[in-house]
This record gives sequence, structure tokens and C-alpha cells, in this order.
Amino acid sequence: MAIEFKLPDVGEGVAEGEVVQWLVGAGDAVEEHQSVVEVMTDKATVEIPSPATGVITALHAEAGDVVEVGGVLFTLETADAPAVAGAASSTETAAQAAGGTGSGAVLTPTPPPKPVGAKALATPSARRVARELDIELSEVAGTGRNGVIRRCDVEAAHGAGGASTVGAHASTMDVPTGAGGETRVPFRGVRRKISEAMVRSRDSAVHFTVVEEVDVTELVALRERAKAVGAEQGVKVTYMPFIMKAVAKALERFPQLNGRLDEQAGEIVRCHYVNLGIATDTDTGLLVPVIEGVERKGVLALAGELAQLAQSARTGRISPERLKGSTFSITNAGNIGGIHATPIINHPDIAILGVHRIMKRPGVVEGPEGDRIEVRQYMNFSTSVDHRLADGADGVRFLVALKELLECPGLLAL
Amino acid sequence: MVDAAALSVIGPDGDAGGHECGLSDDQLLHCYRAMLRTRVFDEICMKLQRSGRVGFSVPNLGIEGMQVGAASALEKTDWVFPSYRDFGMALYHGVTPLRMMHNMFGNGLDSAKGRQMSVHFSFEEPIHFFSISSPIGTHIPQAVGAARAFQARGEDHVCLASFGDGGTSSLGFHSGLNFAGVWKAPVVFLCQNNGWAISCPSSGQTASESFAIKAAAYGMPGVKVDGNDLLAVREVVGEAVGRARAGEGPTLVEAVTFRMGGHSSSDDPTRYVPAEELEAWGERDPIDRFEKYLAQRGLWSEGDEEHVREDALAEIDAAAKEAGAQAPPGLETIFSDVYETLPDHLRAQGEAVFDLSRRKGEAAAGGGEFPL
Repeated sequence: MAIEFKLPDVGEGVAEGEVVQWLVGAGDAVEEHQSVVEVMTDKATVEIPSPATGVITALHAEAGDVVEVGGVLFTLETADAPAVAGAASSTETAAQAAGGTGSGAVLTPTPPPKPVGAKALATPSARRVARELDIELSEVAGTGRNGVIRRCDVEAAHGAGGASTVGAHASTMDVPTGAGGETRVPFRGVRRKISEAMVRSRDSAVHFTVVEEVDVTELVALRERAKAVGAEQGVKVTYMPFIMKAVAKALERFPQLNGRLDEQAGEIVRCHYVNLGIATDTDTGLLVPVIEGVERKGVLALAGELAQLAQSARTGRISPERLKGSTFSITNAGNIGGIHATPIINHPDIAILGVHRIMKRPGVVEGPEGDRIEVRQYMNFSTSVDHRLADGADGVRFLVALKELLECPGLLAL
Repeated sequence: MVDAAALSVIGPDGDAGGHECGLSDDQLLHCYRAMLRTRVFDEICMKLQRSGRVGFSVPNLGIEGMQVGAASALEKTDWVFPSYRDFGMALYHGVTPLRMMHNMFGNGLDSAKGRQMSVHFSFEEPIHFFSISSPIGTHIPQAVGAARAFQARGEDHVCLASFGDGGTSSLGFHSGLNFAGVWKAPVVFLCQNNGWAISCPSSGQTASESFAIKAAAYGMPGVKVDGNDLLAVREVVGEAVGRARAGEGPTLVEAVTFRMGGHSSSDDPTRYVPAEELEAWGERDPIDRFEKYLAQRGLWSEGDEEHVREDALAEIDAAAKEAGAQAPPGLETIFSDVYETLPDHLRAQGEAVFDLSRRKGEAAAGGGEFPL
């Protein structure tokens, strides 16, 4: 008999799971307890075993698909009647759908599996934009609830050069793909989570960005000395812990930038502590682990925590708990390049600071004998602020306060 | 890693140095089978959970030796107040996998009539296995209360309260140990220091140098033992049980072990348990170690594990199928076991429900969703 295997709630209160990979194919014989598919939920990635011995006759989702709990994952043909409470046979399902058992009102109806070629779930505006841009909706990954495609998803697919769209229309539009061909990378896992976070930030926060140039000549000298002190204690001291201290100190004066929006309560939460999200480039993509209580910690302690974080990021062992609870974030592109940026706020923070590389340039120094030209070191800082929650002047004043602290880092000791 | 302060009996090579454990060859083999059966029961329950047939399970990989060693030190007249990983103690004392599976499925033959979560067993015989509490440490004062009652009645039963390192941070730990000390109650506290309270490492649980040392504050002896060494646990718990039975009061035993699986079926330990620690503790597997000990005594040979495993798999799989096919508890059980005489308003509600079910039929089993 045929068993339609539905995705169970493998955690307590899990709503959906993403198919990571199938461990068997349609037509394969499986034994009871044999792992069939790997599914990633909010809580864990788990292997789902077969409930009985038989043959897998159909897979109802592909790797990368998000399946709701109760959605059919695969069909299993068994020789005998299943001693399985969890998996309903096709005939039972049909009878229940027809109200045959009279118990339909008590049971939660299960949505039928999405048939191949079905109309994609999308908002009306997404459909209109897709028509205008000639984008196939079935090729767009939806980031809305239950995978609903939103207008921004369509625009993102278009804006990204429409990697998938170009492929879909290559034959009809005769777009040259070049001699090198193209590679398709599944849009899922961490990449998709990052995408969701970015879209959430852009859809909610009203970003404005201000850039300031800071003379860090003194900071460079101080850091050289701190580096030597740190080396004695086995701690690598970078510029980042000084910047973090300066941010914490500047936020004391501008608490309106330190916190988050609690949309449900309709309140702006101002935090009396500084937890800094540190945007970190890892092999799997961007992660923003949080360092807590920066206002209470010294530069060396922060340097130690940063080193630990970098280590965890390299080994892929940043626990999800460490990715929560930031009150402000810092993104550092300084070691890569660029002179300024428009940082995207780490939702639901109020603001973010972008840190850029140090450059030696001639600068005007004011002295008792008048102005003179010297080789100075400069660093640019970009701050994006959510204009809904703070005003432009707040952002600029914050950046000026930060500039004062970093140009004369002795002030950090006050 | 296990520190030198924890008592060990069986060496890494299986040599117990002539230790007298007081168990016959048959009893030693029974211990071995109980550990393996516990492991297989755990494996099957996780498979049942992942395929949606039961709602919840709690892995206990790596702590079977601690469970069986402690259980072997108890008489059938004693009382176990277990933590949710301790079903190995029930299996050791002869509770059948089928009775345990009735609980996993919450069916009509479940001793708790489907009112408890899965893996929250309770049995009145062959040993008193008190209904498992999900809230941490609440069963510690209950064990002390029961022990105090045995004392007052002049009965020589002993209570074993088993909990994790996280349990020592609960209020129940303090009030339980405090009054057990005051009353010299016949109770043994078994703290399974398995390294983790969900994702909190045991280093995040206390500033004390050990868990065993906390006993001093309550006026009782505290002993630390290698929790992956069945005979060492049996020795230490046995001595504590003897003291309790002789009226000399409670003992706190810290069994140092490691949780090799997740906290529960809802947990992903790969996110926080360092792989090197798992590997190091894998080397200290309690079953492998006991096999070496049995081999030294000429009681075990290559292939024995396979046999026991196969038998256990067949028995436990069959138990799962039988329990899974059982009907759920009857509708009337909603109204039973609380009042001796049902109050009128509940009687009226019951009659309305029964009338409805007579006319419409009872709801069929769900389709694999567990609306927890």
C-alpha cells in the first residue's frame, strides 16, 4: 500500500523545514529506519528515516524546497499494511478529504502538496512587476511567509542580472552566454538567510548614510604600543577594539542610536548597555556575532574576544545564541578596500558603523607657528541610521563625537 | 575529562585489578545486556521520533553504564526518582520494552494513560519508578519526602534521586538536600555530571570546584565517581545505599560522564559541543569498557555484541509496532483518576462529550503532525 510520508514536527513547535538533500532516489528500495532525506529546521538539521520497509515511488520536494510540517515529503510503497500511526495511507487521506469519517472538523486539514507546474504563490504587485520585467515567477525564490514571492524578490532577481532568468530565456532571447558558460548556485541555506535579513532591513528601516574622515595618526601610534603589550599576553590587538570602545563611549552621549525597535509593542527600546554586532566574513557567508557589554570591557579583553570570534567563525562554530541581541553593529571593510560604503542596518538595530581602510596622505596640521603640511594617516567611517527612529542630526553628531575620540584616543580613558 | 578525584574500577584495558563487585557471571551479563538494550531502545525511539511516529525522545548515548551501575545497587523494593534519561534503570530491573513503548505512543495501555510526554515513564513494578518530571529538580524534594515517610514508618526502603549537573542549580536541589541532611533521610542523590545542561556547559553551572563538594554544606558525604565505569558507579552508589538503609543518612554522588547525543530530539548538539570532546569521550564508551572487562573474565567474545543487538532490535522494533497499533486511551480517562466522586459540573461535561462521540464517532489518529 502507498504511504504518503508527511514532514513531522521534529522539534517542539517547528513549522517548516528545508530539504537539504535526498539520500535516496525515486524507485529506490528502503528499509525501515533507513535515512531518506536530510531536512534543516530552525532548530536542527536532521535525517528523516523511512517509517517502513518498501520502495520510494515519488519525492515531492527538491533540495532547497521549504516544506511545511504536515506537507508530503515522499511516497512509499510497502508490501503490507503499515503499523504506522504517523503516516496516513492515500485512501484514508482521500476519505478524510471527502468528510467520510465525519471527523474532519476535529482534524487540522493538511495542505495538499504543491503539484508540479502549479501557479507560484506571489503577491499581486510581484505578479505585475514580473510581467513587466518578463520574469518567470517559478524561477524566483520567495522570501515572504510560506515562500510567497514578494515584489522585492522579483526586483532582486531582476537586479541581480537575473542569473536564473537569463538562463530560463536564453533560447528565446538569444542572449550570448559567452564561451565560459555559467554556473548555477542553489539559493538556499545561509545565503538565503542572509538574503532574508537584508530584505527585512531594507523593507523596514529608512536608511540614510553619512561619511566622516578621521585623522587616526595618534591611534596608529597607540595601537603599535598596545600591540606590543598584547603580544606579551598572547592577545592580538587590532584597531577594532579601540573603535568598539569609542563607539560605546559615543553611544553614551547619543543613546537614541543604541537599541532597537520593538514593532509589536510599538516602542523604541533604548539600551543602557552596548552589545556590538560584528559583521564577519566567513566561508559560508556573512554572520554578525555579538560581543556583549562592550561599555564594561577594556581594549585587551575585547581584543581577546574578537580573536576568539574569528577562530569560531573559521571553524564554523558560532552558536546561534551569539548572533542575537545586538544594540548597534560594526562592519569592517578596511582590510579589504573601498573608501566609503552605505552599510545596511542589522535589523532590528537602529544604526550601524562602517569602518574603512587607513590611508597615508598629506594633511594640514595646525601648530603654534602656524599651519604646516605633514604625512598623516586617515580613516573613513560611514554610519547608516534608521531615519524613522533617529534624526539626521543625531547621526552626524554621533559621528563627530566618534571622530573626536579616535583623533585623540587618550579621551577613551576619561 | 574525568579527573583523578573520580573513583574508577575498570581500567581502559578492562582490568579491574581483582575488584570484588558481588555480581555473579549471569548478573554481569545481565548488566551488559541492559546497557546495550538501553542503547538500542534509544536509537529506535529517535528513529520513531524523526519519522513522526512519536512526538519526543531523549537520547542517552554514553550514560548507560552510569544508569545500569546505579540501578544494580538497588533492591526491587527501593524507589527511583529518575531524570528523563534514566530509562536504563527501568530496563535493568525488568520493565519490558513493550511497556515503555506504550508510553512512547501514549496509547491506551500506557501506565500514565497518555497524560505524560513520551519518554516520561512511570512504573509501579518490578521496581518503583516514579513518574519522570520535565521541570528540572522538582523530583528531588519528592524523593526526600518519600524517604522521610519510609523513615517515619520504619520501613528500610531507599530512594535514589537522579538529576543532571544543571539540576544542581534548581531550588529543589537545595531544599531537597538540606532537609535530607537535617532528617538523615534514606536517600541517595545521584548527580550525573554529563557536561551539559542543554547547551550550557557544566563550567557555566557552578563556581564550586566540583558538584560532589556541595554535599559538605548539607552535612553529608559527597563522592565523585567515573560515570562511564559501571562497576565504580555500582560500588559508590551501593555504599551510599547501604549507609541510607542503615539509618546513616543521605549521600551525594557525582558521576562524571558525557552526554554523547543531543539534549532531546529538539536539540542540535553539533552547534555547541566541540567535536574533539566528543571524540575523546567516545574513547571512554561505557559499553566498550565493560566488554573488555567481561572479556578478561572470559565472559565475552567477538560477535556477542551483534547477537545482543540483533535480539534487542527485533524485540524493541516489535514492541514499537505493537504499541503503535494500540488505540489511544478511552475518552472516559479524561475524567478519571482525579476525583473519587466526580463533581456534577464535570459529570455533565463528560456526558455531553460521550453523547457527542456516540453520535459522531471518535476522532481518528492524526496524520503525523504533533501540535506541541
